[in-house]
Amino acid sequence: MRDWASKHRWESLLLVVLLATILVNVSLSPFYLGFGNFVNLFWLSIEKVIVVVVMTFVIINGEIDLSVASVMGFSAAVTATLYDGGQVPFALAIVIGITAGAIAGLLQGLVITRFGLPSLVVTLAGLIGFRGAARVLLEDRSVGDFPEWFESIGQRTLVGPFPVALILFFVGLALAWVILERSAFGRKVYVIGNSADVARFSGIEVGSVKLRLFIASGTVAGLAGILFAARVGAVQGTLGETYELDIITMVLLGGVSIFGGSGSMLGVVLALFTVLNIRNGLGLANIDGITQTGVIGLLLIGSVLVPNLAQKYRLRRPRAEAVAHGPP
Amino acid sequence: MTESAAAEVAPNSGRFLRPERVKEATLLGIIALSVVVFAFLIDGYLSGRFFNRVTTSVVIVTLLAAAQALVIFSRNIDLSVGSMVGVAAYLTGDFLAATGQGPIVAMLVAMVVGAVLGSVNGLLVAFGGVPAIIVTLGTLALFRTLLSIYSEGANVLAGDLPPWVLEFNNVTLFTIAGFDVRLVFVMAVLVVLALQFALARLRWGRRIYAIGSNPAAAVQTGLPTASLIFWSFVGSGALAGLAGFMFMARAGTISATAGAGLELESVAAAVVGGVSILGGSGTMVGAFLGAIFIDTLKLSLVRVPEVSEFWRDAFLGILILAAVILDTLLRNRFNRRWSAEARKAMESTGRTAVGMARAAGGGGTADA
Amino acid sequence: MKAIKRRSRALVPMVVLALVIAACGGDTDDTTTTAGEATTTAAEATTTVAAETTTSAGDTTTSAAAAGDAVEIAAGDSITATFLPKCTNIAVFPQANSGAEEAAAELGSDPAEFVGPADCGDTTGQIEFMTNAVTQGVDAIMLSNNSGDQLDAPAQAAADAGIPVVTWDSPIPSATGESVFVAQVDFDETGQVMADMARSILGDDGGQFAILSATPDAANQNAWIAAMEEVIAGPDYANLELVETVYGNDVAEDSVTAALGLVDSHPDLELIMAPTTVGIVAAAQAMTQEGLCETIKVSGLGLPEEMAPYVESGCAPEFALWSFVDLGYLAYYVAYGIATEQIAAEEGTTFVAGRMGEYEITADPTRDAGLRVLMGPFSVYNAENPGT
Repeated sequence: MRDWASKHRWESLLLVVLLATILVNVSLSPFYLGFGNFVNLFWLSIEKVIVVVVMTFVIINGEIDLSVASVMGFSAAVTATLYDGGQVPFALAIVIGITAGAIAGLLQGLVITRFGLPSLVVTLAGLIGFRGAARVLLEDRSVGDFPEWFESIGQRTLVGPFPVALILFFVGLALAWVILERSAFGRKVYVIGNSADVARFSGIEVGSVKLRLFIASGTVAGLAGILFAARVGAVQGTLGETYELDIITMVLLGGVSIFGGSGSMLGVVLALFTVLNIRNGLGLANIDGITQTGVIGLLLIGSVLVPNLAQKYRLRRPRAEAVAHGPP
Repeated sequence: MTESAAAEVAPNSGRFLRPERVKEATLLGIIALSVVVFAFLIDGYLSGRFFNRVTTSVVIVTLLAAAQALVIFSRNIDLSVGSMVGVAAYLTGDFLAATGQGPIVAMLVAMVVGAVLGSVNGLLVAFGGVPAIIVTLGTLALFRTLLSIYSEGANVLAGDLPPWVLEFNNVTLFTIAGFDVRLVFVMAVLVVLALQFALARLRWGRRIYAIGSNPAAAVQTGLPTASLIFWSFVGSGALAGLAGFMFMARAGTISATAGAGLELESVAAAVVGGVSILGGSGTMVGAFLGAIFIDTLKLSLVRVPEVSEFWRDAFLGILILAAVILDTLLRNRFNRRWSAEARKAMESTGRTAVGMARAAGGGGTADA
Repeated sequence: MKAIKRRSRALVPMVVLALVIAACGGDTDDTTTTAGEATTTAAEATTTVAAETTTSAGDTTTSAAAAGDAVEIAAGDSITATFLPKCTNIAVFPQANSGAEEAAAELGSDPAEFVGPADCGDTTGQIEFMTNAVTQGVDAIMLSNNSGDQLDAPAQAAADAGIPVVTWDSPIPSATGESVFVAQVDFDETGQVMADMARSILGDDGGQFAILSATPDAANQNAWIAAMEEVIAGPDYANLELVETVYGNDVAEDSVTAALGLVDSHPDLELIMAPTTVGIVAAAQAMTQEGLCETIKVSGLGLPEEMAPYVESGCAPEFALWSFVDLGYLAYYVAYGIATEQIAAEEGTTFVAGRMGEYEITADPTRDAGLRVLMGPFSVYNAENPGT
């Protein structure tokens, strides 16, 4: 256990933070410890969480996708608009909506790989552009009145107390873990993130990997948008606005380096749990959303700052240690 | 033959057709072109009233684009500018409501508030070793939280502010044929020009570009990188503070959510203006033009009757993309052209690699 | 293989932890039974009456409870309650909360928790707060609905858990899960008041005016606008022309943009009517910045404190509002009365709510379903009566 802890410093730190969060939450509100609440905790943020899983890949790869929340809104808007017209059966509309998300990812991925543009800028354009597209489709309206079966996916439970979205998330998480840390594709993602040039010289098709990741990001964002619509029962052009901040925060908090090349799914999962627990616990204690975000921001900075300072401190007292412990 | 060859091989010294100039000229041309197009599409577009609206509105985005550019040059980013605007606007508003001071004092207060906030960012990035995107994501939330707690849900009311505040945006220096030249616009222009001059001529200006161009090399060459980065964040904060003051003058009533979302616009304006997100290139004037372009487009698109207001953001996204693609293509063409020319000159004069490096050394930092 | 083992060793304590949490903690149902018991009778009464209320719009004396005796809602046990406005940073909502706090103090109860999204443009933010309130098992929820139909499900969940949902300022359009709606004014009357203000500002020649509303889904604003449109269709308002309705989302910047858009698209515009305290301030500010206060006036529903400089400058010659403090006060009394079973949420119930006097629960004539308590009068503000 100690061995594991020292090799996975970040994850251990997060585990400690997670436990602390849970303890604080228990002391803040008696309603926190309830299975229904545990389900709610995930349920209310399930769409973000699904996108976090994919974003992990993107950031480890050395890129970033700021447009995910807008693509969520865009896909949901496409689905709602098609359905609202009355011509298109809802199931087909959903498929088209998710495909729209995939296309959004494809477009951005193509621009990034063909023109060699920084993903920060391209996906920033995407963030603004796809949000605009969602608003063009829906204007000021809110489209709702979806078929009963759709809303029951989002609002009722499927297996035991778990709603469909939650099950999807756990399945997706398991899949993602396997792909990232156990497959050749995952290894390529890491290598490219460390150095795209080295990857290229090793014969890895850098452009193809990146493109696939962006398509995946768009597709999952589209799926998340549809799930959001199912849960909430209505779609507006502003669906998902500002979610990208939370999503990226969760990934970075999970120990994934913003420069790419390192990070683990375990860390991201722990970060997820932590952020969701913080929000939920503080919410039950009636602390407002802005303060919740502030706490998370503090945590984000601290999670990088504290190890850095510890590192500097450690480098300053090497003599005594070296003498005591001998050569490394 | 040798002198002209020498001038040719040092791409950026003495040559007017530098990449930034080309970019700025192109942007200016595009702005002019869009104004012409809009004038066709919209009745009464070329009116004094619309011009005044654009010039007063663009001030805030300009200052923020400048703030962002300052930080981006050194290969950092500041996502907290929106929250800094909110805090500065609110605190300055409260201060004025309590003391009723004049504009100069108010501006100083706003800039000091901004500088203090910026220094938090600077400390964490420069001395804490935390990447800028993480720091400013965190301070985006933190500053907003502090403001929310401080404000206790109450707004600063327009009625509590001294009367000059609501009139400040309308103060006109002089008028030409119905087109007012407003004080706030002139102020923004002066700030941009001052920063442009400083970055181009002063040593710390060029050093900031150097850090952005190649951070590792900057450190190894012994540049005071930590200190420079720290001060660039302080500067960014001060500019955001000034933008907060302008925001207050424009909005009158200020709530705790003031300024939310402005950080994205500031990055977009800088990028459209030719500032490379990777650092090391771009100009303040470029960022200024980028801000003008985006703001003009935003305000104009709303008026085109065929285009619903909801197209505005969609267009903006396409626009940013186009600007960045254009920028990259231009840069690649210029680089190829110059390296081809340099090669030719080298071959014809038989200069050595070392000699060329020495000749080209001074102009390498602000290069595209 | 080894790596997997190592990783899963980490997962095991986590899973154990999760199971322990699930086992230790009570069910959400458990925590709400005490509150639930206190209010099941009220909830049951609501569900049976809800079916009846739709039949008799004008008939007010159906149930036996309306035997004429007004129940005075008296102080008693403390209750836990959630006060959930559209958002927390628009001045009227803290005002309403202060009224609720006043009521709570009089009734010997702890004040309600004042929670809500920070930004009024965020129309899905209220869902989380509703869900949390149900988890917390509060005794009552007081809601000003900014989310249209999206709150149907959480509100129903609350009703199923026996928690009365009392809406104020903006109801749940379908009345799903709602016990009763405390309306600040009659929504149809709001349309009348706005039409009259428009007519008085535009004068005898009439003219063009536009509406700057809040969010497209806001039940209250939509009802007021619909009522106003009906009024101006009448002969006395023939020369008033409504050219456009735009939405500022109750966000200052968006509202300013919307106001400017109106000005640009309609050069003959003479009045902007904004039935939202954010929109009216934004419109007035926009006109001031553009220097258009001479030609375009602003009116609607505004807070006197916020509108003071614009009244002075003549930008906003007249506008109206009601007391949000009173509204919060009344809403709390109603919620308390239902939660402590002093009154039932049924048609015909009459009660006395502290300093505000006697009220009656009637069917809501402005919606297809739902009950309503109608509060009180408009106050019209102008230069003679600035209200500050």
